[in-house]
Amino acid sequence: MKKRLFFLLLSLALLLSGCRLLPEVNVATPAQSDTAIWAMDTRMELRLYGDSTGAVMTDLTGQINALDQALSVTSASSALTSLNETGRSEDVRIVSLVSAAQKISALTDGALDITLYPVSRAWGFTTQTYQIPETEALDALRELVGMDKITLGEESVCLAEGTKLDFGALAKGYAADLCRRRVEDAELSALLSLGGNIQTVGSKPDGSAWVIGVQDPDDMEHFALTLNITGSKAVVTSGDYQRYFMEDDVRYCHIIDPKTLAPVRGTLRSVTVIADSGLTADGLSTALFVMGRAAGEALWRQRGDFEAIWMEADGSVWVTPGLTVTPGERPVYTVAR
Amino acid sequence: MKTRTWAILLGAVFLLLAALTALQFLSAAPAASAAVYADGALVRTVDLSVDATYRIESAEGWNELTVRGGQLAVTAASCPDGDCIRCGEKNANPPIVCLPNRVSIRFSEDGPVDGVVK
Repeated sequence: MKKRLFFLLLSLALLLSGCRLLPEVNVATPAQSDTAIWAMDTRMELRLYGDSTGAVMTDLTGQINALDQALSVTSASSALTSLNETGRSEDVRIVSLVSAAQKISALTDGALDITLYPVSRAWGFTTQTYQIPETEALDALRELVGMDKITLGEESVCLAEGTKLDFGALAKGYAADLCRRRVEDAELSALLSLGGNIQTVGSKPDGSAWVIGVQDPDDMEHFALTLNITGSKAVVTSGDYQRYFMEDDVRYCHIIDPKTLAPVRGTLRSVTVIADSGLTADGLSTALFVMGRAAGEALWRQRGDFEAIWMEADGSVWVTPGLTVTPGERPVYTVAR
Repeated sequence: MKTRTWAILLGAVFLLLAALTALQFLSAAPAASAAVYADGALVRTVDLSVDATYRIESAEGWNELTVRGGQLAVTAASCPDGDCIRCGEKNANPPIVCLPNRVSIRFSEDGPVDGVVK
């Protein structure tokens, strides 16, 4: 009897120690190629899965660089600068972007406005020479601002005198859409990180979900949560923690409220939007940050064609029920349908 | 007498294995992934279960990371001192830091992510 007990304990001990001593088995992964480029004032990382990815990777970097050149608001030779100087453009990319901006602006009660470039400049966000502009200066700029200052034709865009556009809230999303189409045409999978915007394309080669970390606004080295994504999706965050300045203990972030012409001053730290289109996710994340959580939730209930994550200044995180998330240290609540 | 000898022997073996098991559970678990920061920003998370080589570029230079058998090492770098390379193979904190290139590598027990949205 005692012998049996000893053998039982011995087996148990061997099992316990053995389960930690077994070597890990590595699963072979398919070919993967990575490239990093600097474009649109940010670092972009492109990862393609599959064999013979060279031509596709070349196309992706070419498309991104071409867009960067066309849509730069500071380059003297860009198509956007030409529009801002002459008030007219027939560039197909600019026509597409203005069309998308008008749709998102209409959906969000004007929360997305691509005419705010002179206002951002007055606050110093375009040159990093931050300042709080005089009220009179902002009032003078109000004459130049508003989506109604843009006339969109079938193949052209015209601006009112003095109005200037900036596609900072849309360009990376547009680039993501172009890249996604190219990767899908080549029947490859990809994970594209375009300056903090994530675009997944196709399925992850091992069949598991794409795992995306969502930055914690107060802790740059940790995620507030991770997000499981299946298939092709755009994931974009807008927040007050990347570009901002502090004055008298007040945080002034780079996202301007079109109604006040001042940086957004709400309770939100960030909004993440997950959508099929990069352009939609990019534009909506900015608009939802401007609108605040209540209005954003109402839009989500009305539309149902995107998912979202709101991070509040009190530390709480609110997610729409269509998402699969793994919480970090912040409390996570699900938005009611 | 024979039964008693067996009992003592088996008891000793059991105690030894129990101590070994406890030691393994108490010691720091090897990391599953490593987060790589360049110029203060998270630029990549590395899965330590997949053997691979990565080139990390910062504003100041570059570092080549090699993952082999669950261990990560900086195998080449543009920095003048090479301190990061001398850290050797690691799979647990303290982090590997390359001060000249402003690159740091922190080990985590959390699973790796495919991308970071920010």
